[in-house]
Amino acid sequence: MELKGYKQDKFFIVKASGRLDATTATEFEKFCLESIQQGESMLVVDLAGLEYMSSAGLRSILVVGKKLKSAGGSLSFSSLTPNVAHVFSISSFGSMFTVYDSLEKALGNS
Amino acid sequence: MRTVAEVITVFFFILAMLGNANADQDRRQVSFVPQWLPQAQFAGYYVAFEKGFYERYGLEVDILRGGPERPSAEWLKNGAADFATMFLSTAIVERAKGTRLVNVGQILSRSSQVLIAKKSSGINSWQDLRGKKIQLWGAELSIMPTALFRRYGLQVTVIPQTSTVNLFLRGGVDVVSAMWYNEYHAILDAGVEPEDLVVFHLSDLGFNLPEDGIYCLETTFKKDPQTCCGFVRASLEGWRYAFDHEEEALDIVMKYVNEAKLPTNRPHQKWMLEHMREVINLPESGGYQTLLKEDDYKAVAGELMANGLIVTIPAYSDFLENCAAANEK
Amino acid sequence: MKNRGLAFKLILFTLSGTMAVLLAAFAYFYHSSKDSMMQYAEENARNLTHSTVYQIEKVLVGVGKVPLNYASLLSGRNFEAEDIVRIVERMVSANPEIYGAAIAFEPDAFAAGAHYFAPYCCRKHDGHLTNVMLGDASYHYFTMDWYQIPRELNQAAWTEPYYDEGGGNMIMASFSVPFYKGKDGEKRFQGVVTSNIALNGLQEIVSAIRLYRSGYAFLISRNGVFITHPDSRLVMTNSIFSIAEEKKSSLLRRIGKDMINGGEGLVALQSGLLLRDKCRLYYAPLSSIGWSLGVVIPEHELLEGVNRLGRMVILIGLAGVFLLTIMVMLIARTITRPLKELSATTVEIARGNLDTRLPDILRGDEIGTLARSFEEMRLALKDYIKHLTETTAAKERIESELKIARNIQMSFLPKAFPPLPGKNRMEISARLEPAREIGGDLYDYSLIDDDHLFFAVGDVSDKGIPAALFMAVTKTLLKGIAETGMGPSVILNRCNLELCGENDSMMFVTVFCGVLDLRTGRLKYSNAGHEHPIIVRRDGQPEFLPVPEGFLLGVEEASSYQTMEIELKPGDMLIVYTDGVTEAVNAAGELYSHENLMATVRSCSSLSAEGIATEILASVKLFSSGIPQADDITVLSLSFTGAKV
Repeated sequence: MELKGYKQDKFFIVKASGRLDATTATEFEKFCLESIQQGESMLVVDLAGLEYMSSAGLRSILVVGKKLKSAGGSLSFSSLTPNVAHVFSISSFGSMFTVYDSLEKALGNS
Repeated sequence: MRTVAEVITVFFFILAMLGNANADQDRRQVSFVPQWLPQAQFAGYYVAFEKGFYERYGLEVDILRGGPERPSAEWLKNGAADFATMFLSTAIVERAKGTRLVNVGQILSRSSQVLIAKKSSGINSWQDLRGKKIQLWGAELSIMPTALFRRYGLQVTVIPQTSTVNLFLRGGVDVVSAMWYNEYHAILDAGVEPEDLVVFHLSDLGFNLPEDGIYCLETTFKKDPQTCCGFVRASLEGWRYAFDHEEEALDIVMKYVNEAKLPTNRPHQKWMLEHMREVINLPESGGYQTLLKEDDYKAVAGELMANGLIVTIPAYSDFLENCAAANEK
Repeated sequence: MKNRGLAFKLILFTLSGTMAVLLAAFAYFYHSSKDSMMQYAEENARNLTHSTVYQIEKVLVGVGKVPLNYASLLSGRNFEAEDIVRIVERMVSANPEIYGAAIAFEPDAFAAGAHYFAPYCCRKHDGHLTNVMLGDASYHYFTMDWYQIPRELNQAAWTEPYYDEGGGNMIMASFSVPFYKGKDGEKRFQGVVTSNIALNGLQEIVSAIRLYRSGYAFLISRNGVFITHPDSRLVMTNSIFSIAEEKKSSLLRRIGKDMINGGEGLVALQSGLLLRDKCRLYYAPLSSIGWSLGVVIPEHELLEGVNRLGRMVILIGLAGVFLLTIMVMLIARTITRPLKELSATTVEIARGNLDTRLPDILRGDEIGTLARSFEEMRLALKDYIKHLTETTAAKERIESELKIARNIQMSFLPKAFPPLPGKNRMEISARLEPAREIGGDLYDYSLIDDDHLFFAVGDVSDKGIPAALFMAVTKTLLKGIAETGMGPSVILNRCNLELCGENDSMMFVTVFCGVLDLRTGRLKYSNAGHEHPIIVRRDGQPEFLPVPEGFLLGVEEASSYQTMEIELKPGDMLIVYTDGVTEAVNAAGELYSHENLMATVRSCSSLSAEGIATEILASVKLFSSGIPQADDITVLSLSFTGAKV
């Protein structure tokens, strides 16, 4: 899995591509938590390149989400691939986190 | 005068001596001279002596040394030798001269005389002898070649020959006389190859006349024919033994040769001995054939007369003593 | 043995190479030396022969001049008898080499009536001269060689050597010259002037020639007769031809002929001919007389020096090779010994004794490097094995953990068909295929009461023992709450609340649960983030069951869950599964997917619950064959048969 993070406006964008599963979930979690530690609170996770997400990935998202919530921040997602969108939908992650069609849309809304 | 014992001792001693003398007298002492210096031509006699054959016949033989200084006939005439060998022709001449010798055994029944020419002188057949220089030995040995020339009407130049063939070797004469068992091999021994020579065997040309025989004075024979014939017998046994044991015979011959310090060698003597085998008549069945045939005698005597060497032919019966007959006595 | 082979091979190759070179060098040296030696010896022999020939000829020719002179003198004029006698005497007295001399006339040639006329003078042993007249009835000199040969050949001639008749053992030869009188224009042979020369002087000259130890010179006459020879028995009795006849050597005969024909040359002769051993013969003619001188050089004596040198060289060579062998052996040992030690140590290490210290080989060369490399390898091996051991231990720990987890998981799963009074009203079958790494799937079914069947399928997010325990808790909660007769949504709500506590790691579980009224076929169900089950109507196509939205259990306390209801007709089937089915991966990296699942269900929709469950599982397994299973696979199939009791 490849992770890229950069700041844009008040958002911190995390681009994740590849697979987010048991082997890479810890990495993702650590990456996001580090950025939170550095003061970011508005995370946008762009999953345009993410082709697969497992329950381990979901769990890491929940951990990151919880952390952000206690920091008063927000976690949103964009550009979900069909597989990942399916997982989100089944697990009703949509009710927990905002999912945008595209990164622009995600950055457009504060 | 001594004691009786001493007398008796002396008496018996004398008896013993006489007895010995008698024993000695059982062996007859005879002397023999070959007609030339020691060589294998006389091997039989040396062998007979060395192997004790003469002794078996009760003979104690003293072999004298013959040679060029004195013809063997002289030895007989002077009584210096009891027996001698000589050519038949020589013996007839002597007999004709009055020497009363007798032939007790003809040993060589065939002639070994040859005429040898070099092929390079262009001689291939006896006709080519015409006009050539030919070396001949003198006296009796020339009678056969002379008869040959006469028979075929060949004009030749005769050069006298003595004891060497060197003149021939050097090319001084075209033809040389030789004995097949002697001088022929001496020529080979001087480096000439047999294929370079032409050899005329007189025996092939109708002149096969006997040569060596054993002679003694008539008186010697009449006195003791047993001894004479025993000598002849033993001599022939010597010859037989020599032919059967060639190397041993050669050892014996060389012993006599070396004693006489003669300039000859073993290979030459070997040749000679081997060719003696061809001309000495030893019957296969054993026994002896020593009789001189009357025809041969007459032939030789005839030639001698024709050459003017004798005037009359002595009687064959006078000349010959037949040991076979003597033994039957 | 291998090491021995190394040393052995080293020695063998070094030695054979060295020996080959040595032998080649030696052979060349020996051959060249031998050739040089032979050449030198032949040169030597040639010179010696020529100088000796010259020496002899000088004497003989010198001597020969005397009769030649007198012959020409006699051809010139007539002399009186006393003059002739004086001339003869003078010939002897004035010439010490002349032993005797004579002037012999043809029969009746000197004076009529004198058949023989041959005054002869000779030197006696005491030095006095004696005069005699040759020729009488017993001495017919005309047929003697010394007279006849020059007469018939019309030229001066040397006779063959002969023994002096005086009784001495002196060998003589005569040189005779014919003289002629010219009369009426034609020359007529008159006689011969002859001088006898004792050859002992010549014999001494030739006998003095000693070459090496057994080499010698010999002189042969025109007929090949030995005039001198180291073996005095051969002198005058044998000729080179009689020797050739005795030894049956045609070569020697040929040589003899060449010699007497004035030839000159060098021949090699085998042993036994002229010498006991192999020899070389050099010969040259005394052309003035027709004799020939031969010089015999013993080959091996000639080569003695060379041979001795050669033997020394071979000895030195052998000693050198021997030393070389020792040295090579020692060097080989310095290689093979450490190799042996290393090899032995390695064997020990191979047995597992990694602590075996390698022998200390403090060397700068390849062996030292090898030893150090070995040592490094040993330490690395030791480390690796230690690491491996730790890793293996860790792995084994995990494995055991997994085993425990699996055991926990399995122990909680119902296996048997529940004893049902309403046995024939429904059929339920479940298959759970755990992955290597336990994902924490669960399923449960039980009769809450005689007419109601509770069932649930869940998927815990984590792995390992925590997941298994979480799964156990979840299952217990679900069952417990269900047995109180609550509806599915209540079950999930309550369960969620319980699970949310103390959950920092954000473990969650997705659940689908339902309660089936066995009398009516009414199914009440609820979903918490779980895969949508497939419903297969008896007379219809399989479809995804619409489910109420609900978040995963254990994360958000505020999550709420709803119940939905459907009517199951007899023959209808519900298939509940986990994402282990749809997310199974094949070798190409493709997911099994919902489409595949749907297709499979469609294809076996007529099967029993058990049949379908088995079939789906088999299909998934087949799909992902070769790929290790990443997640638990669970299939629960429930068919409502609706048969009345």
